[in-house]
Amino acid sequence: MPEELHALQHRFQDYLEGKSEDFIKDIVSSENALAEHRLGAYYNAYRIRLIDCLATDFPVLRKEVGAEAFEYLVLDYLKLYPSEHPSVRWVGRHMVEFLQHSTHENRDFLAELAQFEWAQGLSFDAANSDQIFTMDAMAVIPPEQWPSMSFAFSPSTRWLDLYWNIPPYWTALDTDGKAPQKQIEEYPTRWLIWRKDLRPNWRSLEAAEAWAIEASFKGANFAELCEGLLEWFGEESVAMSAAGYLKQWIHDEIITDIIINA
Amino acid sequence: MTSKNNKPFLGFGLGLRSDHYQEIIDQQPKEIDWFEIISENYMIDGGKPLYFLDKIRQDYPMVMHGVSMSIGSTDPLNMEYLQQLKNLIDRVEPIWFSDHLCWTGVDHKNMHDLLPLPYTEEAVNHIADRIGQVQDFIGRQMLIENLSSYITYTTDAMTEWEFLSAVCEKADCNILLDVNNIYVSSYNHHFDPLEYLKGVPAERVWQHHLAGHENNGNLIIDTHDHPIIDPVWDLYDKTAALLGPVSTMIERDGNIPPLADVIAELNRAREIATPHYHANHA
Ligand SMILES: [Fe+2]
Repeated sequence: MPEELHALQHRFQDYLEGKSEDFIKDIVSSENALAEHRLGAYYNAYRIRLIDCLATDFPVLRKEVGAEAFEYLVLDYLKLYPSEHPSVRWVGRHMVEFLQHSTHENRDFLAELAQFEWAQGLSFDAANSDQIFTMDAMAVIPPEQWPSMSFAFSPSTRWLDLYWNIPPYWTALDTDGKAPQKQIEEYPTRWLIWRKDLRPNWRSLEAAEAWAIEASFKGANFAELCEGLLEWFGEESVAMSAAGYLKQWIHDEIITDIIINA
Repeated sequence: MTSKNNKPFLGFGLGLRSDHYQEIIDQQPKEIDWFEIISENYMIDGGKPLYFLDKIRQDYPMVMHGVSMSIGSTDPLNMEYLQQLKNLIDRVEPIWFSDHLCWTGVDHKNMHDLLPLPYTEEAVNHIADRIGQVQDFIGRQMLIENLSSYITYTTDAMTEWEFLSAVCEKADCNILLDVNNIYVSSYNHHFDPLEYLKGVPAERVWQHHLAGHENNGNLIIDTHDHPIIDPVWDLYDKTAALLGPVSTMIERDGNIPPLADVIAELNRAREIATPHYHANHA
């Protein structure tokens, strides 16, 4: 271990993190630029770079709290969650947790807003699907095999349970529209998020579809879906309703494969 | 692989930026000979960046440029990162890959900045050893780039170019010589940039970066958000005369203009450098 280099790097990093100013004495001061001024370039660059990075990941959170407050929010965040990943892509991964435990008066709303923005990011660069299952492929599955069909979903597919009206609020602010009233419900709404045409998409799910998609993720086959959906639909219409969901998922391009377990 | 006498010359390239993806695919500009990608931007699982990367790679040669290897850190090398880098190299099949003569953090933290190193014997040995490990792991030689720097350490025992040369000779790696960074550092630290150019082993200089910055008085901060300034063009002229044909590209990271504007800058680089190459090889 190169001891001197190691100690020097510690002093430099402590300086950047605002923990100690010992590092100043390691730097040559010159008449035209004092050591403090020279080090300030690094001190500021560290902060500005990560503020910019998180502004890209959380654009509407920034609009919601305001540009200046967002800067302070990021500085507080970095004290608790300094980056430990080689890529700036992951600097913001603890933002939701940070907001949940903050003292901000709107913390529940802000945390859900951040959760929605982070989920969009995860969907944006999630793994590609090898294929998309189409209605044409669906049409050749014989009816007697329908009960045993189970489903594989694209890796970009995920959902969020949100108490606040976050997605419409997000869209309004993102397009510089007028922010709607913040509304909270007694029960959360489940929002499906997935990537289509290289962009994140989302839509809200009714309770029945929310249950069906979660069950399908966990491996339920079509017969099991129908059985579970009896909680919302009658005996005579349940298969039609389940088939309707399936058709919608195929249309959304979130089904990558249908597996028949004979 | 040896670094002598087989230096490839790729011509004149650009940094690939997402703002230009569609223009590149639609226009396939002939003036761009190759692209440099920021490796970390594509160390992801899927989606839009990789979609465009694969598409553009079909039409252009590429080199990979990383910002997170932290070759000068006293933390252990991040093997997970190196494995991801290797996977991306397998995907892109770049002509070469590079990173910076810097460190980015210790204690597993990442400051996401290119932090300068003290120019000491201890640092030379430490870094050369680590570059060796990386080259062994990846199975290829790499390029190391000089930084823009704003500080001088009290412990420095040699000049920046002596340090860069010593590291690269010892590790047997090549050099990505950023002409703008030489200009910025020479301004900030009051040295003669020509001495720098004469002080590096010419046969190891495989690539140049050119970039713009804003001069804020007594310290120049390297920002890559402005057009290249005239003194940097002058220095590039002298570089081409001294070093001969070296693959050259322009980095633009902020205030990104339309593709045509960056291509115009690239054509200027070509006009400046090419006459020297013909003179050298006449
Ligand atoms: Fe550079």
